[in-house]
Amino acid sequence: MDAIAAGDAISDEKPVSKNTKNFTKSYTFRVILQGIITIWAATTFTFFLVRLLPGNPVSIRIDQLMQQGYTIEEARNQAATLFDFNPDEPMLQQYSTYMVNLVQGNLGTSITSAGTPVRDQILRFLPWTLISVGSALLISFSVGILLGIMIAYWRGGVLDNVITALASILSGIPDYVYAILIILIAGVQLQWFNVGEMRGGVTQGIPAGFTVEYISSVIKHALLPVITYLLATVGVWILSMKSSTISVLGEDYINVAKARGLSEGRILTAYVGRNAMLPLVTRLAISIGFVLSGSVIVERFFEYPGLGLQLARAVGARDYTTMQGIFLVITIGVIVSNILADLVMGWLDPRVSLEDN
Amino acid sequence: MKKLSILLAVFLLVIGAALTSVAAQQDEAPDGVWLGTWPYRLPPDHHLNAYADGGPNTNLGNVYREMVELAPAFYMWADNSYEAILAESWGFSEDGSAYELTLRSDAMWSNGDSINAMDVITTYALGRLVGWTQFDFIDTVEMVDEFTVSFGFIDEPSLLAEQLILREPLVATATYGEFAEQALALFDEGLDRESDEWSDLLVSLREYRPTEYVASGPYTYSISDVGDSFMTLSWHPNSIFSGTVQFGEIKLWAGETDSTTPLVLSGEIAHSTNVYPPTVVESYQQQGIEIVTIPRGYGPAMLFNWNVSPWDIQEVRQAVALVIERDQNAFLTNGLGAMGTVYMAGILDGNIGAMLTDDVIEQLDLYEYDLERAEALMEEAGFSRNNNGIWADADGNTISSEWIFPAEFADFAGASQDAIAQMNEFGFDISARAMPWQEVPDNIRNNTFELSVWSWGAASPFASRHFNNPLQRWVTDLDTATQPGMAIPMEAYPFNGETVNLDEMIRQMNAGVDVDAHVERAGEVALIVNQTMPYIPLNVILSAEPFNTDVIAGLPSMDDPIMLNPTGRDHFIKLSILTGVLGPAS
Repeated sequence: MDAIAAGDAISDEKPVSKNTKNFTKSYTFRVILQGIITIWAATTFTFFLVRLLPGNPVSIRIDQLMQQGYTIEEARNQAATLFDFNPDEPMLQQYSTYMVNLVQGNLGTSITSAGTPVRDQILRFLPWTLISVGSALLISFSVGILLGIMIAYWRGGVLDNVITALASILSGIPDYVYAILIILIAGVQLQWFNVGEMRGGVTQGIPAGFTVEYISSVIKHALLPVITYLLATVGVWILSMKSSTISVLGEDYINVAKARGLSEGRILTAYVGRNAMLPLVTRLAISIGFVLSGSVIVERFFEYPGLGLQLARAVGARDYTTMQGIFLVITIGVIVSNILADLVMGWLDPRVSLEDN
Repeated sequence: MKKLSILLAVFLLVIGAALTSVAAQQDEAPDGVWLGTWPYRLPPDHHLNAYADGGPNTNLGNVYREMVELAPAFYMWADNSYEAILAESWGFSEDGSAYELTLRSDAMWSNGDSINAMDVITTYALGRLVGWTQFDFIDTVEMVDEFTVSFGFIDEPSLLAEQLILREPLVATATYGEFAEQALALFDEGLDRESDEWSDLLVSLREYRPTEYVASGPYTYSISDVGDSFMTLSWHPNSIFSGTVQFGEIKLWAGETDSTTPLVLSGEIAHSTNVYPPTVVESYQQQGIEIVTIPRGYGPAMLFNWNVSPWDIQEVRQAVALVIERDQNAFLTNGLGAMGTVYMAGILDGNIGAMLTDDVIEQLDLYEYDLERAEALMEEAGFSRNNNGIWADADGNTISSEWIFPAEFADFAGASQDAIAQMNEFGFDISARAMPWQEVPDNIRNNTFELSVWSWGAASPFASRHFNNPLQRWVTDLDTATQPGMAIPMEAYPFNGETVNLDEMIRQMNAGVDVDAHVERAGEVALIVNQTMPYIPLNVILSAEPFNTDVIAGLPSMDDPIMLNPTGRDHFIKLSILTGVLGPAS
């Protein structure tokens, strides 16, 4: 019995070990490993980079306060009370402390708001960015893909000319210009909406929860940032999709499909759309990663409480720990979405993983 | 008898009803809402600890904090006097070794506690722990009686210390008492900042998050009142000013200059202290919004690196002062919200009369725009124009320098670009370089610049503070071993063929309580600065603040003495709100 049991144990172990070996050699494993190494490298790089920025939190705070009209005594009094920050601590020591804490899941506390965990800051602001920039990206991508395919398929027509021109103009205007125009023209001049009421993430006083009132307020407040982001990005998706679709339309299999008498709708969705979208998947993945950084200027104009607004404040005040925390989230976002894109591409197009092996 | 009893009963009922009515009125918040703005932070960065960044100092700033936490007194610039707020009386002790402050006995915190001497002890125990500058002047804070505190001076009595004491908001023992007790125990043990116990207590204090804001002013708030777009300070009945204020709420919109502009235009912000560009100010005026122009307490100055030739040569700096038309420079700095510097003495023009004698003022060189005189000074310094019209030394080296300025500050950028253009027109070869604002002071501190711009002067009634910025701020206030700053030889400053210790002269300027001596010492330094031009005070910026009189009534007229107070800590709206001068427009 013992021998049989031992033999069973051996036979049980072998496949596990083989699976593990196979996994470590696999495309998926290597992509994930590369991702982890990249996150460490990016974290290390940003750690030193943010500290090489001119100025430190204390001196910048004093300069900032004096610029607001504080006297030197007032500014120093405030700066003295401000920071749990020792600029003289050796950088390598700061780095090792940071990495040890990071491995334990501790992002540290804010320098300019001593005692406030960076994790709490990120959790407070990240959801709003995901709501506004995330939804805007998805809408922008969907609309862009749809219009891009349509104008490429019926290229040369009025629709193509109008949408292509419009997309070029839209993509050439920066997002903050849209924000200013929306606020000053639609808000202040035409009074289509109350400027003050639309600021922030939600109407003050409405308790948070899955209630119609709260959700509708969140949607209402996200509307202007979403429209701004949509206007600034949709043109690029339209033009990219148009270009990608046109190259697919020249392929033989499209001509074969047409010769077979397939309907236009089927050709557009099953033959053209799928293949034309492949290059845009990678781009979408990268964009999803950058969603996490928010849109600094747009969030500032609408006082939208997203991560971009917090990042801008942290950079301006040289709040190293907060900056690092936000950069880490962005890094992880970009890398994870790229890993997913690699895996999806490997799945969609087996040549990718085979060639890599 | 019966009738008399009935009459008495009716009389008592009427009186009782009247008193109840009065009491009810005092317990009810006034209807008005003040619509202001301050760039406060959002939770979790926003908290109620006054001794950590992200607390009331950050979120209410030096304008609104005193709506919640009152200071002993309010300073009036017009006559150099103090208006009582929490203080009943104040003054130097007879022998001059201490300063005595007695609080009003009827003042209360929002939680109903009496405001007393223990609150002063608490405030200063923690102030000492965190390193307040008050302790450059005082070394002891002792309770004399329930409402009186005595501050002992390290050396001689000081008017500068007096102002710091009278203008510092007091905090509640109910909130910070435990920390104050621990701090006092540390001081009794003779421990200093280097000790672990001191550091540990400091860390605990910074991480402390009070759950309630115990207020001495008529308004208070909790974290739940802080929204994404605005925060609300609400009236409470216990303050000595609860009966006089006319606003039941103070609504502060979040955001900086750019994001508050549309709200001012749409009438949702009635008053703002932000620096708006001249075109925006013009659009406010077109909208019918009044612009209140009050002192801001600084202006842009051209800073020289004295380690870079020829900026260490007095005649060259004087020539620069003569070739920049300062009124034009002021207009391009901040439109009508700036004025070309007149006296060029290192003291803001609005304060010259109070800080210098007429005799000194008459001696000042006004450096009026004069190209011929500048030309002569350049030649006297050994320079001549080359074939391209550029000034060059005897070896043919042209005067070429780079001027760095903050890209984000429209006022300083405008002042720089105009000064550069005017200097180049005269024959200098100056190139402009814009950079993120945080990098400019860093370059000045590290002496990695040639020419730059930063503020001069101060919103302070003490001349030494005006000279401090930029002379000491960018030289002797730095750790000069690692940060040479402007590299001005302050301790051996060249003047009239000799050297003077300019740093010491400024430090001693406001020592003691003899105002005449202050003025005399200020005059000596003013003449040195005026004659040697260690930096060029280009212009004086004014605070052009939108004030919507459709929303708020009671704006004092511009000849009211309180309107001489600069923006910031002594802003006129503070006292005007507390005393009920400002109220909602009908």
